Formats: sequence, C-alpha cells, structure tokens
Amino acid sequence: MLFEVVIKSLVNGCMYALMAIGLTLVYGLLRILHIAHAALFTLGAYAGVIVANATGSIALGMGAAILSAGVAGVLIYRFAYQPVLKHPHHVPLIISVGLLIVLEDGFRILFGGYGITFNDNPYNTATVAALGITFNYVEIAMVGSAVVLIGTFMAVVNHTRIGIGWRATVSDPQMALSFGVDPIRVRYMNFLIGSALGAIAGMLLALMTNLVEPAMGATLSYKGLAIVVLGGLGSVRGTLLASLMLGLIEAMGSLYLSDHLDPNALGFLFLIAVLMFRPQGLFTRA
Amino acid sequence: MKNRFLPKLVLATVMALAVTGAQAQIKIGFHAPLTGPSASDGKAAVVGAQIAFDWVNASGGVLGKKVELVVYDDQGKADQAIPLANKMIGQDRVAAAISGGYSLPTRSASPVFQKAGVPYFAAYAVHPDVTAGGNFAFRGVLLAQPQGQVMAEFVAREFGKKKIALVSMDNDFGQAITEGFKMAAPKLGLTLTKDFFFPLSERQFGSIIAALRAENPDVIVIAAYYFVGGPLVTQIRVAGLNQPIVGAQAFDATQFVSIAKQAAEGVFVVNALARDSKHPDFEKFRAEFAKRAGFDVESVGVLTYDAAMITADAIRRAGSEDPKKIRDALAATKNFPAIMGQVYGFSPSGEIHTPVEIVRISGGLHKHYKIIDDAALLKPAK
Repeated sequence: MLFEVVIKSLVNGCMYALMAIGLTLVYGLLRILHIAHAALFTLGAYAGVIVANATGSIALGMGAAILSAGVAGVLIYRFAYQPVLKHPHHVPLIISVGLLIVLEDGFRILFGGYGITFNDNPYNTATVAALGITFNYVEIAMVGSAVVLIGTFMAVVNHTRIGIGWRATVSDPQMALSFGVDPIRVRYMNFLIGSALGAIAGMLLALMTNLVEPAMGATLSYKGLAIVVLGGLGSVRGTLLASLMLGLIEAMGSLYLSDHLDPNALGFLFLIAVLMFRPQGLFTRA
Repeated sequence: MKNRFLPKLVLATVMALAVTGAQAQIKIGFHAPLTGPSASDGKAAVVGAQIAFDWVNASGGVLGKKVELVVYDDQGKADQAIPLANKMIGQDRVAAAISGGYSLPTRSASPVFQKAGVPYFAAYAVHPDVTAGGNFAFRGVLLAQPQGQVMAEFVAREFGKKKIALVSMDNDFGQAITEGFKMAAPKLGLTLTKDFFFPLSERQFGSIIAALRAENPDVIVIAAYYFVGGPLVTQIRVAGLNQPIVGAQAFDATQFVSIAKQAAEGVFVVNALARDSKHPDFEKFRAEFAKRAGFDVESVGVLTYDAAMITADAIRRAGSEDPKKIRDALAATKNFPAIMGQVYGFSPSGEIHTPVEIVRISGGLHKHYKIIDDAALLKPAK
C-alpha cells in the first residue's frame, strides 16, 4: 500500500510542479509573488473545456488552454505589473491578489457557479497497469508532461543562447542589456511560458476530475506559493523537488494525520518550519 | 402630447394603487446567497419559493390576501444575515421569514427572529444551532447527524453486518454524518475500518484509494459535495474498487452525475430527491422550475418550495397575520403533503419529522429506491 501511496503522491506532485513553475519564473525575474497565476490555471481549464465541448476534440481544447493562458499571462504582465515595477514588491502583490479575486468571480458570473463538465472525456477512465498500480491516462499525462516540459525548459535555460540571455537577465538586467539581451522580451517569454505550463496543469486537473469550476485554483495558488518558497524562490530545480515533496507530505498527512489536522495545513506548517530554520529554501545553498 | 398622456398616467397610477389596496399583501421575509460562490443554490432556493407563492396567489392567496416574498441576498455570510433579519422585522414588518440559505447566515439570523417573536423557517440549513435559540425557529430538513444514523440503518438493512469504510470531507457536514454513522453502527452489527477525511480542495484521491484498497471494506460510505465526490467516485471505480457506494444527501446534485458519468451508476444516495417522484405536483413543479432557473431541480429547490408552502399553509390555518399565531400553527403542522415527503409534524424544538427517501442512480437519474419511515429512527428526540 505504501508504495502505491508514494507513487500516487508523486503524480500529484508533478501537477503541482507544472503549476508552480510559472510562479517561480515570475519571482525569479521580477520578485513579484504572482498569486493571479492560479486564475490563469483556471482560465486555461475553462478555455479548454469550452473548446473541447464545442469541437469534440480534447487536443484542440488543450491548444486553446495553452494559447489563452499564455496570452493572458503576457497581458497581465504588460498592464498590471509593468506599470508598478518601480514600486515596492507589495504593490504588485496586492494587485495580484485583487486580480485573482476579480478573475475567479468573473468566471463565476460568466460560466456559472456549478462548473462545466466535459461532454466526452475518455482519458480519466481509461487505464493502464504498471508496477502493480492502476494509472489513468491523465495521470500518465501529468507525469509525462511534467518530465518532458520541465526537462526541456531546463535544457534550454542551461544550454542555449536564449537560456543564457534569460539567466543573465535574472542575475543582472543592466549588464544583460549592455550585452544585447532584450530584458523586456525575456519578461514576455517568461510570462508566456509560465502561464502556458500553468494552463496545461489546469487542463490536466480538469480532465482528471471531469470538472472546471471557478475556485479550482484557489487553494492551489497558496500551495504554489509554499512550493516556490520551499524550493528557494526562483529556482526551477528547487520548485520541482518541492512540488514532489509537498505531494508526498500531503498524502502521508491525509492517511495518518487527517483525524487531527487538515492536510492542507500540513503543507503550510512545513513551510513555516522551513522559513524559520532554512529561510533561503530547502534546495538552495546559503 | 403631454396633455394627452398625463391623465392616462394618473388614471393608471390610481388604478394600480386601488388594485394593491384591494389585494393587500402578507409579506414573508426571505434570504439566500444570490451572489458569491453558492449563488447557484441561492437561485434554486429563490425560484423554488417564488413558484410556491405564485401558485398560492394564483389560487386565491391566503386570508384573501396575496403572499409576497421579500427577497434579500445574504451572500452566504453570517455578518450579512443579522442586518437583513432586522430589516425584514423592522422595515418590512414580515409576518414570517424563510431561510433559503446555508447554516452560517441562518444560525446568525435565527436569534434575531426569536427575539422579535417572528417565526423563521430554515429550508435546508443543517447546523444544530439553527433551531437551538428557541421556539420560533423551524427546520425543513433532517439534521446531519441523524442523517448519518439513517445511512447506517440503510446500509445494515441493505447489505447486512458488513465492514464499512467512511470517507468524508473535513467540514461540519462530513464530520456530523461520520459521527451519526459511528453512533448507530455498533448496534446494527456494522464494523468500521479507519475513517478517512479529506479537505474540500482535494481532487486527486490516489493515496486514499490505495489505503481503501488495503482496508478492503464491503461497502464505501461517502459524505462529500458533488465537486469533490464526483471525482472521488470516478477515481474509486477507475482504480478497480467495485464495492457498493452509499452517498450522503450532498450527492443529490445533478452535477454529481455529469462529473462521475458511468461511475455514478448504482450509487445510493440517502435523503435525496427522487427525480421520478409520484407527488401530484412534482412534474408541474419540475417543468416550471427548469423554465425559470434554467437547470433541472435538485433538493434545494424542492425543500425551499416546500418551506414556502408549509409557511403559507400555517398562515391559512392561523387565520391571522399575527406572527405568534403563525408560529403556533407551524408548530401544529400535521401530515402536510410536501413534495420531499409527508411532513408528520415538528418537534417542540422545531425539527421536522418526515420519512427519508433513498434513491439509486440509474441511467443518469436519481431514481426512487426505498423509503425509510420508522418513527423510532426519524422522530426528532427534542
């Protein structure tokens, strides 16, 4: 049983990772806690379910999710964050929290409070068995896309010219600029990629549960924050590890401690402990 | 031009005033969450109550007057409910009030109505505190804990002395159902595995299902809202666990079936609305409800309709608009044929005595399966 629990919690962690990468990217580059990222996760799921139901194709739905959230992410940067970048960090944070609330209620007003289900979603009931455990296709997709997309992203960042430009902009925007890297373009790319990954996570969760509802990102937005801090604010590798770890902690908590404590609280307790004893994050060097 | 229209306008106004004067109204206060996360239930509640009063008025009203629903939005919040209650009492001078809202605002408003001596009918708020304040509060639905006891009774009758796993969301409702079930289980010879609680934000149940597989219960009993329960039931079935599933009232939602689809088939729901109800008004109500609300009726709409009908009936029997007489008439309610089930009456503390409908989901519909109607089990203790 324990083996199955561990494996399933890692699947959950992969979904967290896809969602949290966007937050990490934004924090690494701009030092903004991008709470509204969770609304893009939900937006992606809505665009996905609507297009999938209209066209009968889940693949087109996924495309719509990626496109809509990517564009919305760029727009949020341009119109909500860019004008206030010179202000202290709490100013964009407040804007971000406000955006999350407005967008969540916007979804509710536009699409109704009961949520939308897929007309035809074969993937959450189709299964494969491996290692003595049954996985549905969405779980496979969660692990697959986390490994492939985050792996590709890290390879690009570490080994290509674009990636070097990105890292240069993160560590010293002025210097990067003088070497011909356009920091504005890097920022746009950042929001585009981070939001698209978030939308993929949103669409996958929607396929898993067969439901898109306005508040599906609400708790995740704060979990994402915990992950980013645990991972050492701005570190992609740290975020990945912290996501898997949070999945594991929650699973153990819900099995052995749920009589006493909400597993959601467990993640945050862990976060508080880390902030007290290792404020630079678990996976970064001091 | 002006001169030609003005007299007509004056005439129309006078006529309108004359009509309302001749058909005075009895005002009934009403609150429900019309905005915010639970706005859909609020809409169902207001549509249900409005249909009831429209039909009462179409057949002549009560005491020769029309009943008018004075609707307010409680936003699902406790702090909204108290000023609204004061407004209904002080400004609108309502003869009675109905809550079409959740426990949080309802238990806040209840003492206000108690103090003012105005009867207050909670259509579907299940928290014990709603009726704890005194003798002016009534409740049209079974408390969560007795619901848990009835679930245990049903499970024992249907499946025998088996091993049961309780899986519940971690909130008032889930905990009360679990408590009730655990209280009744030993007497009925049911054994229980360790119980499982999960937060409302949970969507991936892999680890709980792994533990369920290890426990290998004969029946799985679930107390969860549709948006967590739907994914949970799907994932249980996908993982190859084929035990019977018995759900608490929250599985009554149509959306539960849209989410879980095939996995919802065969699931039992205790204390739900049978969509094939034989009540003479049901089909007519269902059609009218769908027309006005834009979605199919669920128990929230029916319970609020019933609450409005029971209130109108009490005013009729009281023969007076005096809130105290209406309270006495409500307390004396006997064998009222509500859609949700025959209302035998109310206990001194305002709890309803009514049979419990068990439905089974089949062909995507919540269909009548069985009625549990034992007075020993269902008659409220206080």
